[in-house]
Amino acid sequence: MKRRAPGWRKATRLGLLVGVLLALYALAVAKHDERARIREQPVALTPGCADKLTRYGLAAGATYVSPYALARTGRANVRRGYSEEDVRAIQRGCNIIDDLQGQLAADPARERWNATRFVRGTHTSCDHCHQGIGDKQTADGVPQTGSLSLAASWVMADMYDQFTGILLPYELRQMQCYINSSNGFKPNIADDLIRDVTAYSRFLAAALDLRFGVRYPEQGIDEVTASSTLKRGDDYVRGGALFREKCARCHGPQGLGTVVDGKVRFPAVAGPNAFNLQSRNNFSFVSTILPGFICRNMPLGEEGSLSNQDCRDVAFYVSNLPRPAGDKQGPLAALWQQLMMRVMPPLIRSIESWQRPGETVGNGT
Amino acid sequence: MNVKTAVFGWAPPRVGALGNELLIGLTLAIVVLPQAIAFSTTLAGLPSYFGLYCAIWGVLFTALLNPSRVFHGGPNSTLSAVVGVTLLPVAPQFGPDYIGYALTLFLLAGLIQLVFLAVRPLGRMLDFVSEPVANGMICGIGLYMIFKSFPAFAGLPINTQVEWRLWIAWQSFLAVLEIGNLHAIHIGLITLLVTLVTRQFTALRNWAILLGIVAGTLYSEWLNARLGLAATLVEQTANVSAAGFVYPSVPLFTQEAMPDIISIIPGAVTLALLGLFQTVAAMRRMNRRSGQFVDARHGIFADALSNCVLPFISALPTCASFNRMSLMHAMNTGSRLAAVSSALFLLALVSFFGEFIAIIPVPAMAAIIMVVGANMIDWSDIRAHFQHRPEAIVFSASFLSVHLFGLFGAVICGSLLALAYAKWEKAHPNVSLEHNVLRIRGNIYYGSLPVIESLYHRASTDAHIDELVVDFSAVHHIDPEGIRWLAEVGKNGKVRFIDRRSGLDRRAASGESPPDRKRRDRKRRDRRRRRTL
Repeated sequence: MKRRAPGWRKATRLGLLVGVLLALYALAVAKHDERARIREQPVALTPGCADKLTRYGLAAGATYVSPYALARTGRANVRRGYSEEDVRAIQRGCNIIDDLQGQLAADPARERWNATRFVRGTHTSCDHCHQGIGDKQTADGVPQTGSLSLAASWVMADMYDQFTGILLPYELRQMQCYINSSNGFKPNIADDLIRDVTAYSRFLAAALDLRFGVRYPEQGIDEVTASSTLKRGDDYVRGGALFREKCARCHGPQGLGTVVDGKVRFPAVAGPNAFNLQSRNNFSFVSTILPGFICRNMPLGEEGSLSNQDCRDVAFYVSNLPRPAGDKQGPLAALWQQLMMRVMPPLIRSIESWQRPGETVGNGT
Repeated sequence: MNVKTAVFGWAPPRVGALGNELLIGLTLAIVVLPQAIAFSTTLAGLPSYFGLYCAIWGVLFTALLNPSRVFHGGPNSTLSAVVGVTLLPVAPQFGPDYIGYALTLFLLAGLIQLVFLAVRPLGRMLDFVSEPVANGMICGIGLYMIFKSFPAFAGLPINTQVEWRLWIAWQSFLAVLEIGNLHAIHIGLITLLVTLVTRQFTALRNWAILLGIVAGTLYSEWLNARLGLAATLVEQTANVSAAGFVYPSVPLFTQEAMPDIISIIPGAVTLALLGLFQTVAAMRRMNRRSGQFVDARHGIFADALSNCVLPFISALPTCASFNRMSLMHAMNTGSRLAAVSSALFLLALVSFFGEFIAIIPVPAMAAIIMVVGANMIDWSDIRAHFQHRPEAIVFSASFLSVHLFGLFGAVICGSLLALAYAKWEKAHPNVSLEHNVLRIRGNIYYGSLPVIESLYHRASTDAHIDELVVDFSAVHHIDPEGIRWLAEVGKNGKVRFIDRRSGLDRRAASGESPPDRKRRDRKRRDRRRRRTL
């Protein structure tokens, strides 16, 4: 074979490099087109979202009047309306909050093409913490205090993190949710996932007629524990007993949650599918958010039956159950946590059955 | 080291060479400009004036403090990447806290480098960061830089919250494919292609980055003129002219910040070590090429002193840069005037043409970072490492540990493996038994004794061997345990030691008297000395 001049090798290499770049560019153009097509298509809503968005009168048009605000105040508060594109973004946002894993939506491949990628584990949904698809209301239609309402979160975004003193934009705060609470990967701040959820939260705030710069009790849960952030009296053993008495019937004796037919009935508060250690290491989460959330929303149907001290004890116990390590802790911590989560539950179960041979011990899932 | 020669010892410029020196200075100033901005904004997550001040004051200080003709510091891609990796978990990028922590980090690194200067054996320790370790880390950082610049390349906001991992980099790559701004991608691609193609021509190689930036900027200007900034949404570099000469700053040392400052100490050690290692390696390489020998301690001196001062004027830490030093060498630099004038030219450029620098689009900067990152992955080095298995293991381990355990972990992991390999080599001396001669080539020390002893035991218990000759002519180190073993062996009547270097075996045979021998030895020594003189 004839030997080529050395310049040829260089040219081949350069050609290959340019070719790869252009191929990647073509791929990007194709992906952009696909995304634009999907965003043009009508959204298949989950049953909960269809109900909620109809109740709030979401429709495309030049003006928007909230039926909720009209019913409560008797005055039609006219706002600038939503375009077709806005409506689809809000609907997608609602779908993401209702089931992050895409188990309820009609076409998970299409509706959730940008959501499931950022989630690890199969049990988490935004709805588990932000109850009532981000807007939980009491029987008489009033937003429930301390339900981590997304509407209130949106208007209170810039005064959110009062403990660290850092002003987090709403989008960054959402990214923390994906990283910590759903133990997932970090989405880009400009990702459709973030933008859709932001659009939905904004819509809820408009529908409930919330104002910037006002503190709302449905988002604020810190008053439950504000006076006792020192955690002096928190009792792990008492928390464990309370957990077994009040929480274990839904979340399982080891907090692994309840899943029926692949659908999550009650979320895991421990084990591989729970929120990760990174959120536990956040001081305000353990001292304030978790006990506050428990006091306002748990046990389901008997909200408010636990005293503040009970909530703190349960939160203390729950936050020390085994759970996955976050990305920040590094691969070794992640490996150790995984090992502990796989080994400890069967060990504890066998010890318990050995101590109390008569009782049947549930496996937790 | 003499401080006086370092500061005042200028190599005499050739007659009429002043013009050439100034031309080299201008070239350097133009070449370093886009690098300085890109390193500080895209890699370190700091405002662009950090890189510019480093390219001005860092270059000036290091050139004045080091007598080498071609040596000068300046912004460095690896160090900037280390800054980004270290500070990402501590504070959101570009914020005041982030800047405060960054200054603290730089000062700590400078102080650590001072310790390296003051304690001589520590400077020697740098030689134990072997080449595969450093190359593995630098390749890892190169990959990091390529991935890290994807979002900026596609006009997406840069993630500022969580520490970087390979998986997250992959996610951001996917995000670029799906949600990137196509105008930004076009600008980035044009910059990248122009740079890549121009680099192929030897005459234009050093100008490739500049030409790429110019092409990208012109395209973005045309795009903005046609569609408007509101439609293109392409970010531009900040105007630097307002920043002026110096932006004085104070590192952050408050009580609340202490936990975070403690957490960045490993990063500071990495920064200091990597900076010194690159400086020392670059000086070694330049010494070999230029024929001028400058002690590497001059480099450590210049780096350490500059890095202790630079945090107070908002500049990135400085260390030697291979490509800029090669450029100077290629252009035949005669004195340090070139480096000094480059700093002054850059100062003038920034002061008078700041608003022109401001129109450079961020995607073009990101494309430049990609080229620089790809340059750091040197395939010929990697191929060389993979010809020797232990080196390949050390290289791969430090490359992987950059992504698994961070940069500090990579330094520790790679250096430990390199040391372990060196020790392992020493622990396997070449021991052979030929007839009744047991030859030991290598070291006799606690690690190698088991290997030597096993063969010795076999030989000494062999019934066919009447006299066992232990030849340790090729032994270069014996530790106390080795001496104890030799003493034990000496008690065995069957064993005779020989050491051909001392002539002990021949002397035992000849009947020469000791005074004669002494005289002859002296004669031989004198003859040898005359020969060497």
